[in-house]
Amino acid sequence: MSTQTYKKQDAYASTSGLPDKMAIFQECLQQFNASPVNAKKCRQLLAKLLRLIYYGESFPSQESTTLFFSISKLFQHKDSSLRQLVYLTIKELSSTSDDILMVTSSIMRDIQGGDIIYKPNAIRTLSKVLDSTTVNAAERLFKNAIVDKNPVISSAALISSYNLLPNAKDVVKRFTNETLESIQSHKQFPSNQFQLHEFYGSSTSKLPTTSYMYQYHALGLLYHLRNHDKMALMKLITTLSEGSALKNSLSIIQLIRYINKILLDDESLIIHLYPILAGFLKHKSDMVELEASKTLVSLQHLIKDDQFMSIITTLQKLLGVPRTATRFAAIRLINKISTKHPEKIIVVTAELEELINDANRSISTLAITTLLKTMGAGTIDSGSVGGESVDRLISKMTSLMDEITEDFKIVIIEAIENLALKFPAKHKKLVSFLTDLLRDDGTLPLKTSIVDALFDLIKFLPDAGAKQLILMNLCEFIEDCEFTELSVRILHLLGEEGPHTSNPSYYIRHIYNRLVLENSIVRSSAVISLAKFAAICGGEISKNIQILLSRCLNDIDDEVRDRAALSLKFIGGNHKNLIVNESKYDLSALENKLTHYLNDESNFINKFDISEIPIISNEELKSIEYNRKINRLDSSTTDSADITETIDKSKDNDKSIGDSVSNDLLKQQEYAQELSTIPEFSNYGKLSKSTITPIYLTEKENEFVVTVVKHFFIESKKLVLQYNITNTLPRSVLQDISVIAQPDNELYEEDFIIPINELKPDQNGIVYVSFSTPTIEDGDILVAFGNTVAYTNKDIIDEDGNVDPRDDGWSDEYQIDDLEVSAGDFVTPLYNSNFTALFDQLDNYETSVVTISGTDTLENAVTKLRNSLNLLPLDGSDYVPSDSTSHILKLLGKDVWGGKVVVSARLAVTGGKVVAKLEAKSETETFSSIITGGAY
Amino acid sequence: MSLNLSLYTVSAVLILDNEGSRLYAKYYNSPSIESSNSTSHTTTTNNTNTNNNNNINSDPYFSTLQQQLKFEKSLFSKVNKVNQDIVLYDNHLITYKQTNDIILLIVAKINENESLIYSIMANLFESLNILLDNTIDKATILEKYDIVTLTIDETIDDGIIIESDPAIIVSRVTNAPAAQLDGVHVNIDKGLFDAFSFASKKISERLQQGL
Repeated sequence: MSTQTYKKQDAYASTSGLPDKMAIFQECLQQFNASPVNAKKCRQLLAKLLRLIYYGESFPSQESTTLFFSISKLFQHKDSSLRQLVYLTIKELSSTSDDILMVTSSIMRDIQGGDIIYKPNAIRTLSKVLDSTTVNAAERLFKNAIVDKNPVISSAALISSYNLLPNAKDVVKRFTNETLESIQSHKQFPSNQFQLHEFYGSSTSKLPTTSYMYQYHALGLLYHLRNHDKMALMKLITTLSEGSALKNSLSIIQLIRYINKILLDDESLIIHLYPILAGFLKHKSDMVELEASKTLVSLQHLIKDDQFMSIITTLQKLLGVPRTATRFAAIRLINKISTKHPEKIIVVTAELEELINDANRSISTLAITTLLKTMGAGTIDSGSVGGESVDRLISKMTSLMDEITEDFKIVIIEAIENLALKFPAKHKKLVSFLTDLLRDDGTLPLKTSIVDALFDLIKFLPDAGAKQLILMNLCEFIEDCEFTELSVRILHLLGEEGPHTSNPSYYIRHIYNRLVLENSIVRSSAVISLAKFAAICGGEISKNIQILLSRCLNDIDDEVRDRAALSLKFIGGNHKNLIVNESKYDLSALENKLTHYLNDESNFINKFDISEIPIISNEELKSIEYNRKINRLDSSTTDSADITETIDKSKDNDKSIGDSVSNDLLKQQEYAQELSTIPEFSNYGKLSKSTITPIYLTEKENEFVVTVVKHFFIESKKLVLQYNITNTLPRSVLQDISVIAQPDNELYEEDFIIPINELKPDQNGIVYVSFSTPTIEDGDILVAFGNTVAYTNKDIIDEDGNVDPRDDGWSDEYQIDDLEVSAGDFVTPLYNSNFTALFDQLDNYETSVVTISGTDTLENAVTKLRNSLNLLPLDGSDYVPSDSTSHILKLLGKDVWGGKVVVSARLAVTGGKVVAKLEAKSETETFSSIITGGAY
Repeated sequence: MSLNLSLYTVSAVLILDNEGSRLYAKYYNSPSIESSNSTSHTTTTNNTNTNNNNNINSDPYFSTLQQQLKFEKSLFSKVNKVNQDIVLYDNHLITYKQTNDIILLIVAKINENESLIYSIMANLFESLNILLDNTIDKATILEKYDIVTLTIDETIDDGIIIESDPAIIVSRVTNAPAAQLDGVHVNIDKGLFDAFSFASKKISERLQQGL
């Protein structure tokens, strides 16, 4: 009989399936109450009980309490191995049982005089059974245990105290000195630490004498006791970072996080704290190096370029370690850097290229996407050299594409699209890569993502040649496309874009093939697509298409016949606009209006007025989509580390960003609705534009918080300022609140103020101030308002929030921040793929040179300019390579008078200042001078 | 990136079998340290939380057993037979190790230190390996479930990492108590070993005499 079979026969065996819950319950009651207790049997039973718990079974409160009670009987038995498991079970049952207090005294007795083996378990369990009333009794025990010479006991006490923090912080606070003492002490395991297992019998010399884990636990506890006191925290950090006060890697990681936190609150401390962090960049443990790099990367705006390079050096080293997790973390971090500063990581290109073939696919995909980004940065200036590296990368990717899963392919496709959008000059290579991929086998999601990418490229690439190239490739693709859904989408796109290309007949041939060969769904969309060609191209082409379409009148499918007949009728009757639409209704606004209309039957007397719904022209639609796209790409690349999720998440992002764009329009609608209910504004006509986000004119934690929204009524030459005021004073009622807005431009004249009668604590209300404004012809339309809030304050005298009626209160005035009406308030961002042509087209040229205040980097200046002017940057010109000293920013928008505004800004850094030469052109006369004058 | 300033580091420890069903699953409830609404479950009057699942988690994602099982199922399909050590899944950082017919996983927050979580997982695995005599498989885990649970409890408590050195973890876990056969206790292993060492001693004595 071998030892192995002997063991198998032992009572442990029969546990392959899940034990029966009731049987275990009954047996527990029986065995635990037996006398004398059979330690071995009981431990097995507890194990079975735990198995049920960890499987997800839970006992009802009644049973759980009964179990708990019988388990407490096991305290009679001295066996330490049984006791250890008893503690674990008590811990797991404590959340569902009622009478857990009854074991407190048993546990405390164990802590005071129990065996060293289960003493730590007892201490950790204690925090589960104590509550804020009984915790005081254990104070002495905790203090003794924290300073215990045995690191295991000290750790257990620290963890236990930590768990008590939410319930009894004031008690735990009294352990501060003991905790501090623990961090700095040196504790060693007792000599019998390793006696339990023969495994270590022979090699006692190599065993660790301590792991310093108590430092980690003590530090964690201490932080929560001190985090409100910045000075104490700084002192703690400086003492602990000196020399090698902290010997445990985990505690160093924790220390790094505290440093990070303190820096987030007070950035000026970076001078003192950077050397500490930099020191941790070179540590024997890679997790410490990693944490230091992470922290420094998140604080990169605070550190200098050469300091940044030391992070890169550390990461470069980490890329080469054998541990997958570390490599993964390093590349994830590098990928994160590459979104913002691709040029900084060019030095690690060689390492990245090696990682393309890494066994871990997450790593290889991250390597590729990162490389794609650095490519862009490297090639934007230096043409041919970069071109080669793109070639090399693409050939590497092509070979890799066969091996990786679809999820990763989709991520790579997105990265390529991103690159092509950012650097249109490189589109040829990237498009051909995408189309090659399209021809290979693949499932619907994969093909869809490729087609999506190509669609976006068609929409946003400025080069007409690129458009043709992609369209032709798509034509070939639908020749043998097995997915109806994709065919339909492509046919639709061909109908939209095809007629505007140089050789529409090429596309017509392909579309007609579909009409012959495909199923009815594809055929019907092909019909509509052809009709668009006929409507737009006209002439000979129109005639030919009519012949083609008339053949479809005999189609077996009625949808196809209907569409063909309808199209023929429209083409024949010259109803071009019925086939091709130049604009769309704003769908979210339409939905909103319709629900509103349907909610109240009294509305039905009047017809629903569709003209109230704003119409979005194709151009505006494009800018919305472009914005959405760019935002999505940015946000998805920020976390593109999260490879596998990007797919799910980007959908959410898409939605939320899409929402935010349509929300803006919806918000505008809401404002219009609100204003139209106020009789004073009824004759103001249509609301031209409102600023979307309210501007804070006070600190957010002031006695009263004031935000403002500007509403422009261009037709009736009115400006309405909407002041939202919140009373945050808990004991005061504000009455007769008005805002005195003093314009610095004489052309603005105040009409009237609508004040708020009363604001109780935590209420908010709106003060409207209306002004007559100058017209655009007057030229001087910019203004700043000095704002003062005037009110009467009354104290609250009883609990119900009433004020003493005899109290007249006292009047007061309160100065709040000024409000500016800037050029940006008169424009909305607009998208167009051909900036140069548009710039040449427009008149009213104005130019000015300004110094962008408050910044010394081009990147910040660009953000500042685009925010203050509220225009859309085109051709990826909002991206500034960080090593350049000059930059051209191209901006486009539409003003409230309906004209386009283009601005080309040449920025240069000279002597620590950013100087911009603005050239503006606009359709609306004199507006370009307002734009150039309004930039700062 | 929100920093994790608390000691609560691990979100869950899972051991799944080769079909993805759980052998061990513990999701850690990490109470917010700063919040004053206590997670107290101690006073005798407090009967309100009795019908709660015992695996309560502040992360709403894991609050019910169904959600947990769903998470485990989809996670398993993601990591099964793909030995990549580390993966980001569903906004969680996951490190895992698969061997024989089981898989050990540690779930943490997405921005946790990857290297740290991986080493915790690897060390826990190593500890189990030592304690289960180099045979980590489904049968052994179920057979020595007491040891498995104790090992995990000595490594991670409430999401706080207690110890990461496998030697120390192992030294903290007790073996099952010896069977009580009315004082008559035979340890076959020891008996054989004794017999062997007795024999070898005798043989070497004889040999020395012969020389």
